[in-house]
Amino acid sequence: MATLKEKRTCGQRCQDFGHFVWNSDDGTFMGRTPEKWVYISLYYVAFYVVMTSLFALAIYVLMYTINPYTPDYQDRLKSPGVMVWPDTYNDEVLEITYNMSEKHSWMKMSECLTHFLKPYNDSTQHHCNIHNCTSGKYFFQHKFDGPKHTKWSCPFYQSTLGNCSGIDDPTFGYKTAQPCVIIKMNRVINFLPNNGTGMAPYVNCTVLEGHENVRGHVYYPANGTMDLSYFPYYGKLAQPTYVNPLVAVKFDLINQRHAKIQCRVMSKNIAYQNIYDPYEGKVDFYLTALS
Amino acid sequence: FLSQDSYEMFVEMDNVDGDVKIKKKKKMKKKEKLESMKKEMDIGLSSTFAQEVLERDGPNELKPPKGTPEYVKFARQLAGGLQCLMWVAAVICFIAFGIEISKGEISGYDDLYLAITLIAVVVVTGCFGYYQEFKSTNIIASFKNLVPQQALVIRDGQKNQINANLLVVGDLVEIKGGDRVPADIRVITSQGCKVDNSSLTGESEPQTRSPECTHESPLETRNIAFFSTTCLEGVATGVIINTGDRTIIGRIASLASGVGNEKTPIAIEIEHFVDIIAGLAIFFGFTFFVVAMFIGYAFLEAMIFFMAIVVAYVPEGLLATVTVCLSLTAKRLARKNCVVKNLEAVETLGSTSVICSDKTGTLTQNRMTVAHLWFDNMIHAADTTEDQSGQSFDQSSETWRALGRVASLCNRAVFKPNQETVPIPKRIVVGDASETALLKFTELTIGNIIDYRGRFKKICEVPFNSTNKFQLSIHELEDPLDLRYLLVMKGAPERILERCSTILIKGQELPLDEQWKEAFQTAYMDLGGLGERVLVRGFCHIYLNEKEFPRGYTFDTDEMNFTTSGLCFAGLISMIDPPRATVPDAVMKCRTAGIRVVMVTGDHPITARAIAANVGIISEGSETVEDIATRLRIPVEQVKKSDARACVINGGQLKDMTSDELDDALRNHPEMVFARTSPQQKLIIVESCQRLGSIVAVTGDGVNDSPALKKADIGIAMGIAGSDAAKNAADMILLDDNFASIVTGVEQGRLIFDNLKKSIAYTLTKNIPELTPYLIYITVSVPLPLGCITILFIELATDIFPSVSLAYEKAESDIMHLKPRNPRRDRLVNEALAVYSYFQIGAIQSFAGFTDYFTAMAQEGWFPLLCVGLRSQWEDVRLQDLQDSYGQEWTYSQRLYQEYTCYTVFFVSIEVCQIADVLIRKTRRLSAFQQGFFRNKVLVSAIVFQLCLGNLLCYCPGMPNIFNFMPIRVQWWFVPLPYGILIFVYDEIRKLAVRRHPGSWWDQELYY
Repeated sequence: MATLKEKRTCGQRCQDFGHFVWNSDDGTFMGRTPEKWVYISLYYVAFYVVMTSLFALAIYVLMYTINPYTPDYQDRLKSPGVMVWPDTYNDEVLEITYNMSEKHSWMKMSECLTHFLKPYNDSTQHHCNIHNCTSGKYFFQHKFDGPKHTKWSCPFYQSTLGNCSGIDDPTFGYKTAQPCVIIKMNRVINFLPNNGTGMAPYVNCTVLEGHENVRGHVYYPANGTMDLSYFPYYGKLAQPTYVNPLVAVKFDLINQRHAKIQCRVMSKNIAYQNIYDPYEGKVDFYLTALS
Repeated sequence: FLSQDSYEMFVEMDNVDGDVKIKKKKKMKKKEKLESMKKEMDIGLSSTFAQEVLERDGPNELKPPKGTPEYVKFARQLAGGLQCLMWVAAVICFIAFGIEISKGEISGYDDLYLAITLIAVVVVTGCFGYYQEFKSTNIIASFKNLVPQQALVIRDGQKNQINANLLVVGDLVEIKGGDRVPADIRVITSQGCKVDNSSLTGESEPQTRSPECTHESPLETRNIAFFSTTCLEGVATGVIINTGDRTIIGRIASLASGVGNEKTPIAIEIEHFVDIIAGLAIFFGFTFFVVAMFIGYAFLEAMIFFMAIVVAYVPEGLLATVTVCLSLTAKRLARKNCVVKNLEAVETLGSTSVICSDKTGTLTQNRMTVAHLWFDNMIHAADTTEDQSGQSFDQSSETWRALGRVASLCNRAVFKPNQETVPIPKRIVVGDASETALLKFTELTIGNIIDYRGRFKKICEVPFNSTNKFQLSIHELEDPLDLRYLLVMKGAPERILERCSTILIKGQELPLDEQWKEAFQTAYMDLGGLGERVLVRGFCHIYLNEKEFPRGYTFDTDEMNFTTSGLCFAGLISMIDPPRATVPDAVMKCRTAGIRVVMVTGDHPITARAIAANVGIISEGSETVEDIATRLRIPVEQVKKSDARACVINGGQLKDMTSDELDDALRNHPEMVFARTSPQQKLIIVESCQRLGSIVAVTGDGVNDSPALKKADIGIAMGIAGSDAAKNAADMILLDDNFASIVTGVEQGRLIFDNLKKSIAYTLTKNIPELTPYLIYITVSVPLPLGCITILFIELATDIFPSVSLAYEKAESDIMHLKPRNPRRDRLVNEALAVYSYFQIGAIQSFAGFTDYFTAMAQEGWFPLLCVGLRSQWEDVRLQDLQDSYGQEWTYSQRLYQEYTCYTVFFVSIEVCQIADVLIRKTRRLSAFQQGFFRNKVLVSAIVFQLCLGNLLCYCPGMPNIFNFMPIRVQWWFVPLPYGILIFVYDEIRKLAVRRHPGSWWDQELYY
């Protein structure tokens, strides 16, 4: 086992490396002659061109076979998520905290809601969702009856939110201790919230912590109902003007004016107990009004 | 260097061993003892007493030095550089988890699981590594038992060969040149016994051992030979005074324990390679770490990225794979009678380019056999095969009967009794080599010789001596009525011919005139040309006149009062030590494998040459310088040396050659035979070969071969004929002394190298599809396609078994048709291998992964174009209503599970492509169809295992939240399949072109 154990000095190694970079004996640069470098580069260029076109072809075929109206699978969207606005976070926790006496602070909240409600502007809705929906019933559409080969979407007017619509009170109550929050349920294609025959889903908010700080809360529209006519959703392409139904809740805060609140969309087929997804079917948030 | 202390210990020991009647306190007393001992010398101990002592003292072997304790070995496996990195990663994960817990969030178990996974990975690989180390140590240890040291012991008055570890204090043992001294021995008788104490005292001069006590110190005195030293020459008898750990060397050994093992070259190469890869990994990891920090990851998360890349990139399983490969091969070789002492020797053997082989016993059968007969003016060939399967000659002639009779009668050799069941060639004979050959030959051709001899009663005989150069005996005839005596004689052909006046041709006695004498000379020369001149015997006989020599005539062998001339010449028989049946094939195999076989023998040049020609070391049509000179009738000096392929050099010539001349000779003549060489010259030959850049394997058996065996890259000792000294110096031991086994070894060595290459290529390939997701993730900002834990699972769970299974791959059928590799140039991991694996196969795998990734994303609602640039929104924990391509809104957790789905489909893609990869790695040159898909059962089961594990990970409940595997749609398993097929087809095309156009650009660039 003698020959394999020969030691090489650093100088020899450097020399070897130099020899590797440019070997004048056979005119090779980094182990190849320039000509061979050209060949191998061309080979790799060809290889990657072919591979990329194969990949492009695969993606093309994929997109060609995909239905543009409905997704093939909704494995992750068995149950819709629910979110609250104003969506202000402290790290990863929803905390709606505002200072009634600081205009800057409460303006942030009301502006957030104003911004959020922009698509729900009565005139906008009236303009783009001209179909008259029958409330209390699922709005099934099997044909593309709408303009430009689309399906109708039901309008949701900002004014439906009453005191929380921001029309009468542009501060949404944030100047006082009666702030409005807006609950929105995520839209999922062909999802039909079900509460027994003809019963619409509704939002139910409960106080988890700080019961003594909440005197009461009011839902807009009444009972926090999300009308069945907004379901099912047929997708962006079929219903380009679709808007999610909203529910606004006005809280009346007293004492320390601090509470943890859970708002849940009540429906038989909306799950809410998934510990891995805290926003599935419900939303938890802290509401604090400082003065 | 042992001081007086040890001597006192020594004496004390002797006092303790009171039963044994040896005390050495005073020289006088000792002498008395010696006298009494001498009486007992022929008898030795009784077996029963020896057994008792053995039970009391334990076996005569050194206890293995207290090596590193097992738990330390295990701990070492857990605390390598990489393992430490992973421990750190695990700790970081724990800290991250702790921080989350302290914040009161229960949702984030990820960090905990990652930490547990990392720890599990370290522990599992540690266990595996430990188990491998344990197993390979055991294999080597078990090999030691295959070649136990033997000792010649006298017990109950009988000489027995027993294993040296059964010796006890008081045993009488005999040692001879070449033996390892089996225990500490006090010499009682000695004839020119010299020992090599260099391992013990450092004296390099051979030390004489004799019965006289010459010094107080046991280390100085001449009458003690030490355990584990070697007897170089001579013979000695002695009494064992200490065994096992109580011997001098035993005490030193226990003092000097803990000498670290040297790392083997292949281990160094692998480690070097792993270091380079680890360096690359840390570089990449660090880059990603920095980039991740830049794009706003928390430190801990970035750190975990870093860890993932390092873990993904470093082939932790490689060293284990190598060990598995080597120990598998060592086991396989042991079944083929090659015992490997160091594992890496297997690999070196594969790169052997010159084999310097002994002749006797290695190339030949080591038994004289009748090869040719000359009678009736014709040369007849006898059957020389080991199992008598060859053709026999025409036995109908009268002359043969006469010749056969002379050969059977004029022979003193006899079979040892009770061997009726043993085949004739294997029976043990008492007698010299040529007589043994003749006895076996006649036994085979004529039949029961003892019986035959009984029918011709022997009256008297004259044994062979160097002055007469003949042997004769006088017999009565078989026919009781024929009262003549028959005188039969054999001897050196010239001497026999001188005494003959007639010659037997076809049963007729013809006068031996000049014409017949010339015929005899021609035949004699012809047989000489066959290399059998040294062992040709002439045979003649005469019927003694019954009138001159009536019954009862007193033949006086000293006076020679009977006719010893005017005899009738019967024929010539030539003998040779025939080559082993398997050797010509093996030599041929070497030749096609680009390995030179050089014969180095102490035998006569002509015999050596004849055997060389016979086994193919000198191929048909090759000529030496002398041959050319004879053919062209010109002086030797005028012959161009390069014309002669073959060359026979004898020891005398070798002595006068300078090393440059020897190098020249080796360079110019591809077929070399060295005859009449001494073992020292063997060393010179080995060195010369090594100067020419060859990797040399050398066979040897004698003590004097040890330097050559040590110097050679692979020393091969003979298991049967080899001395202990040779076995100690060698790297490999041939249990059957057969040259063909070396060739098997070479084949296995090459196989192991190839298989390691395949295994490494397989392991390297997947690094690219593991790395590109991060690359694309950071550059194109798509949701992360492959997670850290998933990479860990690919690296350490699903791909380990297939990579090991490649070690079981059979040789590609043309493995012995290639030139031996040059270990200085052809490395285990070369550029072509890395580049092909990384940038071609790895690239295809990446494309497969991304195709599957985009498919899974698109089918769930996220079109490829939307994915691009989506990262920041996708990973925004505060964004609960991100819209997909269909306008549906997703919460963060829903997106996260979708990301896990992507991890899983990417994982599945890599798995599917790796199955294609393992299939293409089965061969480097041949088509996979030529190799066969199902011949490697281990590989097939590895693929099945891989698939099962993949399915388990995907579909076992609970996986999503523990290891981030999602139950994916079945059809996503099939998306990467076309790419797998592409990999297979592409590699088949590559192999086809490599086979079709050897040496072409393609071959240079794409053959690894």
